[in-house]
This record gives sequence, structure tokens and C-alpha cells, in this order.
Amino acid sequence: MSDLKKHQYTMESCNHCGQCKWILPARMIGWDFAEICPIHMRYSYDAYSGQGMLNMAREVSEGKLSCSEGMMKLAHACTACGACDINCKNVKDMEVLEVIYELRAECAEQGFVPEPVKRTAENVKQTHNIYGLPHADRFAWLPADYEDDPGADTILFVGCSAYRYPETALAAIRILKAGGVRFRLLGEEEWCCGGSLWRSGLHEEAGELIRRNMEVFRAQGVKTVITACAECFGNFRGIYPRFEETEISFRHITEVADELISQGRLTLKGADAPMKVTYHDPCMLGRLSEKYVPWEGEIRSYGLHVPEKKFNRGEFGVYEPPRRILDAIPGIDRTEMIRYKEETFCCGAPSRETDPELARFTRDERLREAEASGAEAIVSCCPFCRDALSGGPVRYLDLTELIAEHI
Amino acid sequence: MSLSREAYRELAAVVGEQYISEDDFILAGNRAQTPEIPFAHPSPDAILLPGSVEEVAEIVKICNKYGIEYIGNVTGCIPTAYCTRENSIILHFKRMNKILEINAEDRYAVIEPGVRHVQLYPEVRKLGLSYTAAAVGPGGSVLVNFCATGGDHHCQYGTSRPTRYLLGVEMVLPNGEILRTGSLQTDSGWFCPESPGPSLRSIVKGYSGNSGKLGIITKCAVALDRCKGPAEFRAEGLSPHHKIYMDSDCSSVYVFNYKSIQDVCDAITKLGEAETCATVQKYFYLPLTLMMTESANEFWEKWPEYKKIFPMPLVVHIATHSAREREYEEKILFDVVEETHGTRIPREIERWWEEHMDYFMIVARLQSVLRLGGSWLPIKTGAESLQHMCDVYDQTQTFIHDYTNAGKIFDAPANYQIIPMEYGHFASSELLFMWDRKDPQSFRYMAEFSQRSKEEDLKNHAYVMAPYGFGKAVQEQGALYSHCTDWLARVKDALDPNYTLDI
Repeated sequence: MSDLKKHQYTMESCNHCGQCKWILPARMIGWDFAEICPIHMRYSYDAYSGQGMLNMAREVSEGKLSCSEGMMKLAHACTACGACDINCKNVKDMEVLEVIYELRAECAEQGFVPEPVKRTAENVKQTHNIYGLPHADRFAWLPADYEDDPGADTILFVGCSAYRYPETALAAIRILKAGGVRFRLLGEEEWCCGGSLWRSGLHEEAGELIRRNMEVFRAQGVKTVITACAECFGNFRGIYPRFEETEISFRHITEVADELISQGRLTLKGADAPMKVTYHDPCMLGRLSEKYVPWEGEIRSYGLHVPEKKFNRGEFGVYEPPRRILDAIPGIDRTEMIRYKEETFCCGAPSRETDPELARFTRDERLREAEASGAEAIVSCCPFCRDALSGGPVRYLDLTELIAEHI
Repeated sequence: MSLSREAYRELAAVVGEQYISEDDFILAGNRAQTPEIPFAHPSPDAILLPGSVEEVAEIVKICNKYGIEYIGNVTGCIPTAYCTRENSIILHFKRMNKILEINAEDRYAVIEPGVRHVQLYPEVRKLGLSYTAAAVGPGGSVLVNFCATGGDHHCQYGTSRPTRYLLGVEMVLPNGEILRTGSLQTDSGWFCPESPGPSLRSIVKGYSGNSGKLGIITKCAVALDRCKGPAEFRAEGLSPHHKIYMDSDCSSVYVFNYKSIQDVCDAITKLGEAETCATVQKYFYLPLTLMMTESANEFWEKWPEYKKIFPMPLVVHIATHSAREREYEEKILFDVVEETHGTRIPREIERWWEEHMDYFMIVARLQSVLRLGGSWLPIKTGAESLQHMCDVYDQTQTFIHDYTNAGKIFDAPANYQIIPMEYGHFASSELLFMWDRKDPQSFRYMAEFSQRSKEEDLKNHAYVMAPYGFGKAVQEQGALYSHCTDWLARVKDALDPNYTLDI
């Protein structure tokens, strides 16, 4: 069941200040690149924004508005990038993104699930990956001479994206080997992380998968999970704790590489030619990667949360490691876009199938910003951002692969 | 209700199918109840996103033809931005959001209605200019700031209230005619609000804009001020702990506490006489505590201590062109503070202010007030002489304790700000009170306190907050309220006899 009613406080607290749609004052720079919400920028109606979806969800929860095909399309056009949520929480104690998730879940409960989401769910069910490709091929890219460290309690979780970008998984392996990190792969036991199902409102299907994955981690004595996929990472940190508490440490490859570099266990050589790059913060590695801490309690008079609630305000995402790594490669000159770190602008990938036109609009906007920064290349470390941002006027480079190339 | 098919077809033909919606879930985005309003607004029948003045004029003519009420909306942060009757449509100005011109020499900017502070403010700062902004935040509408706000929030002590900065205006009258006022009407540019003939500026904006509602403004020019300070801000850190740094040679922030409002008034007056300090403000202590804390829970931890530390804080920002000038202004400031019995508050608190200046940033953080989950209702928003505003504060203390002690409103009786402008020539004041939304009686208490406050004001010849709309509120306030409202009512009757433009 959706938990919309749990968020009544948030839904009743919005005073339409508009902060969910615009860059925060500390980062404001001018007219251009001042918008932070892709759907509001594209569609202009207030309904297409965090504010609008709060209003919509409130009416749904009060029985004044019914879920519909149109509402479902809107809720899934939203990239759930979390910009609205972080901006709102700059000054308030509201859970905007949670409401968007629950609105999707409510739509799903009432039978409104977009076809691409249904397809993904079916793929995951049948083949354990989002693409519907044979499970047996999940590690088909692995070199014949690859050797696991069977005693390691750290695993490299390659994610479904290894089907599309095996070079990233290979680069991650190279980094870990070069840094002397003891690790192993899950092999056929590795299934989709399931987070995207949860974020699409399919809580039950996601729950089954997440519990199953946690059981595998436990059974195999896993203490640390490293991934090169920002999406998997954000889901491990932000979605998994909704189902069970765990002591497992989830780490992104850039955190590990950064640590290895700072410990002198990994040295990066200079770039072949000087290059100016800008780093694109994937939403799921940055503002949406804070560990979710479940909260059950009471909101008393004047906003007092009892017991105290931990709000994820985007401050503790993974922002610095990728930047430090880029700065550690001689010849690379890093510049920032206007919307960066917790104020990053989404790449548009999440709506690629549910609203392709919006996805193109969002990607074009992000690439325009990268171009305006004067960078020759946009660097990131998320396979879905890569899908979105590749092939544009600014060259896309995957950070994991870039690190491996410079070892 | 819904639009007749004929009306819909005609409206859609003007803006295009993409920019009109009757979908219920889209309408939900603009009919929501906000925390400070105890009732839901009537739903619009449609929302339109016009893209030009010509489109707005056509829409207005169609509304007249079919008897459809219409209202303009940008942010939706003020309660009057919503429909008050059935059979209404909303014109939302997100698409009309261009900055058309910034004239640094004559110091004005020409904007469309959808431009937000976060877009205009940094652009004018780059040119060494600024403007005074009311407290909404980065997403707030610039147009509303200058022609429809009932409040003030100065960014520079020397400047005036926002509504005085409205220059040439292009608007669509309720009959669909396009009117250009000020210097604009004689093709002399945007720079001047007046031109030969009667002033139309007050008619256009009413006292606070939403009292007027005599047309839809599609372009306007706003005056800008020169300002001292950086062209761009240096921000560090991550939300919610961004810090803004100014050049410490040319910028400093001080917070003083006072025991009497008269001493505050004297300090502000003396600083104004010396025409010194970038901003001077008697701030309210409840928002001050909220802005300095991250969550409602942290607020509750700090509040017992903070309310004792600064029950009556005077916040002063000095911004200068040189270190020598700053030292000079600081010397004046400390002399004045000593003469008026002010005391410095703990450095930790001053540091927070230093790290969040300029004032535009502070204004943007004011939304944190809503962390308390109740709501806010500023009353006594208005502008008169500085001394009068301080007297109003004193008078408030004669009855507010009846409500705070009974737990009907939040226990912060001194939660009053005084915003002096034009170097103390006059001031705006705002009493901010919060109520507990968890309490089913809260709206009753809120109404009760507001009514009592108004009655006391009338008794004590204090200024009364500008009413939204016409009718009963004006009659109640009688001679104390500016009679311009009566004139506006007559003009409204003449120009818009069917009140198709929502008030």
C-alpha cells in the first residue's frame, strides 16, 4: 500500500514559495540556468513541479482527486531527480520527493503503471536485469583470466548496466586490482538491485528483490559492496534501508579510488593532452545517495518531530571524491557548471522511456550548460547519465574508465 | 464547472492546445490550500500559459465575451493569486519570463511578469545595482515585488519601499485594451512612472497591487539602486549550510540587542541622520532563531536560550567601497550604539549573519519560518513614520500577552520587525505571529487575534494593514485607511463592471 497519508504534514505545509523550481540563492548567477526542475522548465504548469505534485497528492490522499492516466504520465515524466526536495529542505522540514514516490505508488496501486515500467518489471522478474537480456550473459564480458579473491568480504556489484557498458565494469576491476583491494564478484547470484522498481512505485516487486539481494549478501558474508553504477549506489543507500537495517557498507568506486589515491596506493599518470572538463553530478551519486533512516513518530505542535527525525538534505552525497580524482590527473583542467553538487541539473535519463521528448529537452539543457562552462568534455560516472549525455556537442567521458586509463 | 466548448476552442486558438489545460490533475496544482488559509480555493476551470501581451489581450476579450473571470498568477505565494469564484481561469506567466532590458545608466530593468528574483537579482548585481525585495525567496515574482506586495524587506537602508520603484508599465485592461503608462505612453522609454496627465501608477497597482486588480501587467520597468558590494557572491558549502562571503575589508555585520523599542528607534534614526550603514533593521527574534537552525527540533533546542539573548535585535550590515570607509562607518555605528544603550550579542550569532549576507540571501531564508509547521500571518504590514511604527510595537504589547499566555498563538510577543527606509524617513513594520496547526481551534484563534489587533490599531490610531479587495474591510477601517481605495473601487467599477478580473 502506498504511504501517502504518512506524508500529510508535508502535503499540508507547502506555501507555494517556488523554491522547489529555482536554484538556491547561494548559487544564483543570472537569468540563464536558474531553473532546477526539468519538468517545470519544460511544461511550465505548476502541476509539473514538486509543489504541484504535493498539491495533487494531497487531493488524492483526501479522496478529492482520482489517479488517472494523465496523472500517471506526469508523475513518471518527473525524473525524480530530487532537486525540488533538496531545495525545499534548504529551509523547511518537508519530504517532497517521498511524496512523489508515494504518488507513483498510489497510481500503481490503482492500476496506472506506464508501459515501459511494466516492461522493466517483467524483465527483472524473468531475467533479473532491466534490459531483459539473458541472465547467463551478465558476466559474459569477464576476461577468461580474471581471478576472484574467494576469501574477500568485499564484492564488486557491477549492476545491469554492465550489459551495456562492460568497459566500465572492467575499469572498476582494474582500479581495485591496481589498488590492491581484495574483492570478488557475485557471479550468477548478482541480480538487479531493484531500486528503480521501487522508485517507479512498484514497492512490492522491489521489496521482494531487495530482500532477496540482502539475503545473498548475508549468506555470502559480504561486508562491503562497491559499485561503479551511481544508480545502484543511490538505491543501496537510499532505498535498501527501507526494508531492513544492515551493517553492510555501500561504496561507490569513486570513493574507493579517491581513498586509494590519497593513501598512495593508486597513482594516476598525466593526460595525453591538456583537456578542460566539467563534472556532472549524477543525482543518485550526489544528493540522493544519503543513507535513508526510517522514521516512525509523531509531529507535535510547531513541527517538533518526536523522536527526532533525520532529514536527508543533500549535504552528504558523494561530491568531492570524483572532483579530487579529476584534479589528480595532470593535464586535466576542471571547471564547474552553474548547477553542480547538490544543485545539479538532471541529465533526463529517468524519463527517457516514459517521456522521451522531456528526456531530450533535459539532456539538451544540461549539455548547453556544459558547453557554456567552456569544457571540452563532460565527465560523469552513471551509466544512465552516460546514455543521456553521450553523442552531444560536448564529449562524454566515464570517470571510472578515465581513472583506469590513467593508472 | 467547466468552460463551454466554444469558449475553450477560442481560448485554445489563442495560446495553442499545448498551453491550455482543463485536466483536473493540472488544475490541482493551482487550487491547493496553503497553510495560512483555512479554506480551499475554488478550482479554476482552466489554466492558460500565454506567451505575449497580444495573447493576454485576446484572452481577456474572450473572457468578457463569455463572462469568465480570470486572474494572473506567477508564484502563487500570496493568497490573492487564486480564484475566488467558480467559472474562473488562471493565466500563468511562466512563459513570459524574459528580462527585456537592464539599463545601467538610467538604472532600470524591464521585465516580463514571469521573471523571478533568482533571475533578475544576480543580473543587476553584475552591474553594481540592486533592488529592494520583499520576503518570498528566490522563486518570488519580481513583478509582484514591485506592484502587488503588501510588505517590505529592504536590501539597503537608503532605499524606499518596492512599490515606489514601479516605472513604465504595459498592461491589459479588463476590456482587452493594451495600456502603456508613464514615459512609455509617449514613446519616451521606460524610465519614468509619470507623464503628462494624471498619474496612473497608483491606479495600476492600487495600494499594494492586489487591492487594485485593474489589469494584467505584461511588462514593466522597475527602478534599480546603486549598491556597494560584490558583483558576484562567493558561496561555499552545501545546502542547507551555504555560506556567502563578502570582502571583509569592505563588509561587516553586527547584531545588537536592546531593552527598549525607543532606544532601537533612536539608534535607527541617528544612523539614518548620518546616512550610514547598508542595512539597518530591527529584526524579529523568532525567524532569526529559525534561520540559524537546521530543523524545527534544533529550533526547539535553541529557542529557550536565544529568546533571552536577543529579544530585540538590531541587525546592521556595513558595506563600503574601501576599508577606510568601513572603519569610518563602524565608528559612527559604535558611537550610536553606545549612546542608545545597545549591547553586542554573542559573536557566534553575528558570525552566522556575516556568513549569510547580503540581505537578499537573508530574505530568501525567511521561508524557514514555516518549519514550525503552523503558518505565518504578518499583520500591521505597512509603512509610516519610524516613530509611529515603534509606537505600534509598544501598543501591541498591551494585548498580545492575552493570546501568548493562553497558548492561542506562539509565545513570542516581541516578534516584530521594523524596516526603516530612506535613511529613517519612514519605516515598514510587520508583526509576525504563528499558530499551532495541530490545534483544531488554531484558525479561530488566528482570526480572533487578527481582529483584536485591528480593533486596537483603530483605537490607537495605528496604521491598519491594507485589505485584500474592497468592500467590508475598507468600510470597517474608515478614515484610517487611505481613501485611494475608494477611488480604486470607483475606477474598478468603471473599467471592469462585471469584475471579470478577479480581486
